[in-house]
Amino acid sequence: MVNGRNVERRTVLKAAGATAATLGLAATTGCGGDGGTSADGTVTIRYAWWGAEDRAQRINKTIALFEKKYPKIKVKTDFQPYLDFWKKFNTQASGGNPPDVFQNAIGFLRKYDAKNVLLDLSEQAKAGNLRMEGFRAGLEKFGEIDGKLLGVPVGSNSMALVIDKPVYTRAGVKPEQGWTWDDFEAGMKKIRDKTGRAGDSGMYGTMYLYDLYLRQNGKAFFTEDGLGFTEADLTDWWTRARKGVEEGLYSDPKKVAQIKPKSALAAELSAGEYTWDNFTVRYTSEGKSEYGLAPIPTTDGKKTGQYLGSLMLSASKRTQHPKEVAQFIDFMVHDPEVAKIMGYDRGVPATQAQFDAYKPTDPVNQAIAAYEESLVKAGVLEPITPHPNGADICESAFLRIAEEMGLGKRSVAEAVKQFFNESKTALGT
Amino acid sequence: MGTTVTHAPAMEGLSQDSEPRHGPVKPARPAALKRRRRRENLAGYLFMSPWIAGFLLLTAGPMVASLYFAFTDYNLFDAPKWIGLDNFSEMFGDPRWRHSVQVTLWYVVVGTPLKLLAALGVALLLAQSRRGQAFYRAAFYAPSLIGASVSVAIVWKAIFSDDAVVDRTQKIFGINVGGWTGDPDMIIYSLVALTVWQFGAPMVIFLAGLKQVPRELYEAAEVDGAGKMRRFWNITLPMISPVLFFNVLLETIHSFQIFSSAYIVGGGAGSNACGPADGSMVYTCYLYVQGFENSRMGLASAMAWLLLIAVALVTAVLFWSQKRWVHYEEGAR
Repeated sequence: MVNGRNVERRTVLKAAGATAATLGLAATTGCGGDGGTSADGTVTIRYAWWGAEDRAQRINKTIALFEKKYPKIKVKTDFQPYLDFWKKFNTQASGGNPPDVFQNAIGFLRKYDAKNVLLDLSEQAKAGNLRMEGFRAGLEKFGEIDGKLLGVPVGSNSMALVIDKPVYTRAGVKPEQGWTWDDFEAGMKKIRDKTGRAGDSGMYGTMYLYDLYLRQNGKAFFTEDGLGFTEADLTDWWTRARKGVEEGLYSDPKKVAQIKPKSALAAELSAGEYTWDNFTVRYTSEGKSEYGLAPIPTTDGKKTGQYLGSLMLSASKRTQHPKEVAQFIDFMVHDPEVAKIMGYDRGVPATQAQFDAYKPTDPVNQAIAAYEESLVKAGVLEPITPHPNGADICESAFLRIAEEMGLGKRSVAEAVKQFFNESKTALGT
Repeated sequence: MGTTVTHAPAMEGLSQDSEPRHGPVKPARPAALKRRRRRENLAGYLFMSPWIAGFLLLTAGPMVASLYFAFTDYNLFDAPKWIGLDNFSEMFGDPRWRHSVQVTLWYVVVGTPLKLLAALGVALLLAQSRRGQAFYRAAFYAPSLIGASVSVAIVWKAIFSDDAVVDRTQKIFGINVGGWTGDPDMIIYSLVALTVWQFGAPMVIFLAGLKQVPRELYEAAEVDGAGKMRRFWNITLPMISPVLFFNVLLETIHSFQIFSSAYIVGGGAGSNACGPADGSMVYTCYLYVQGFENSRMGLASAMAWLLLIAVALVTAVLFWSQKRWVHYEEGAR
């Protein structure tokens, strides 16, 4: 650059070229916004879900099947673990680039409806691209909010008490449909005294179980726009929990936290754990014992407060291919082959056709099927209570604060106050 | 420099271009030179433009935006709503926020001096020449090279979790507290241990500082009968105090910004992202939770700006304090 105009000009040009190239590159990678339609009319839709490797393999198989039947539709998938999934989804959705179709759950319906993210699928159902018949136990109503169809259930599950069978047998505790909370507590004392193990791993933090307890007493965790219980209710629930921890009826919360991500039940810290019935599979692979499903204790000997929960598929309001997305969802919930591939991975299949198509042969999945059928037979199932916008934040606050209370980091009174404070902020009430 | 450059005749042709400012040629062709200078500047700016664009788009822009968001209620989806100082007053009333401040301060106050002590101690050992010196230096520096990465945090979590190496070793000695990462009271110690273990960078700087201390000072002190400790306190420490100051400053700022190790070691250990019962919930961790889990970007921005102000204040205090304990050689300042 020292002498000669030509050299100088060349440097300027080079620099300009380099800059243009960099910016140009950024531009081409930055926006590939063609809406996912290629020249030959093939449409690409993006499908995001949460889960792990095993589910990924199953889902890839179902997609291969789908693409074979619908050669004009390509599906691109993306998955993360549960918490990471929602962080990514949130960021994508706020940036106006959410996946076309994605896995969803009840706690997020109102939240994303309020933020204008979810597509009302009823138009597509009317147009015949999505069949809403053939669902089990009224599940087709599950994703309906304010007359809008915001999600289609793929599978159903219900809260259950998963137990370590040999421990229960040794203690001589026999859980039966209709047993009460007093029976349950007496059973846990028996287990502690006869086997030296805590009866439960700390149910006081499980929002969905507390919801059942509230429903048994004519209340609910959520109303449409807020909390359906009082500070006194929660004080009561957590005071009993605290006592249970101190008496050794619930396992030591510190130990439970330490062994995470392993479950306390599989780690032999407790004889039982309240969870979703389709999670039972996990215990069998994690632990050495034999696990079974027991019914939820009741207040009056009849009502368990249970309902079928579910994973859903929802679509983005901004999708350029609502028809193809609807066809995809329709295929995923109705096609019998899909059920054979997925098994009970996302709960018991939501449609009768899929339910009939897959009959489990292994004892764990058979137990899940039997459990759900027993619920239908016992007639305990009720409609679900709505979850307001902000419910997901309340749920994680409930779990966290209950843990702190169990660990003795907070008194019951402080914990209750903190939970109500955080919920007020989250629910905007 | 600063005096007028007189040109040797032989250099005439070259120096006209390279040093136009001082040359007698300047008044002769001002227009042409201006044009040339402008063109040179243009080339410079063009070469810099990717960086400038990056800075404006990725640093300056977001910072201005974040300053604005700090005074709004912004959930990513709806337009930001101006709420003035509400975010700040909410923070001070939030026990979880106060807890995160406590955890961070504890981490800074305990972790930073320990790390610097380790760095200085090892630097003193390695400053003496001995066999295999290069190997030891490399070996001690290695952890901080890989230390910033997420993988080390994952390894750390594996080492300190339940029934892992640390837990089993403790049990041999009859100490049965279980894994540190799942223990709300212990998890922060594992983070301190992680930062202390990564003492390589300050150690290298200490080493350089130690090499600068003139040998003859020690020789003179030795002749006067000063012992090892005495020589350390009265010669080494004052002589390396500028380096010490630099390290204290850098490591303190660094400690305030701890995030990835806390987030990864604490993640999944309890029921939330920041350790059991918020045991490893440092400030940036809570900021992340508010921003990305609770979708409260306005509040998170306010938290970020408050952290910036706090770090600036601490830095200012450190600079102010250096008059009292940092010794610069005459004129070196």
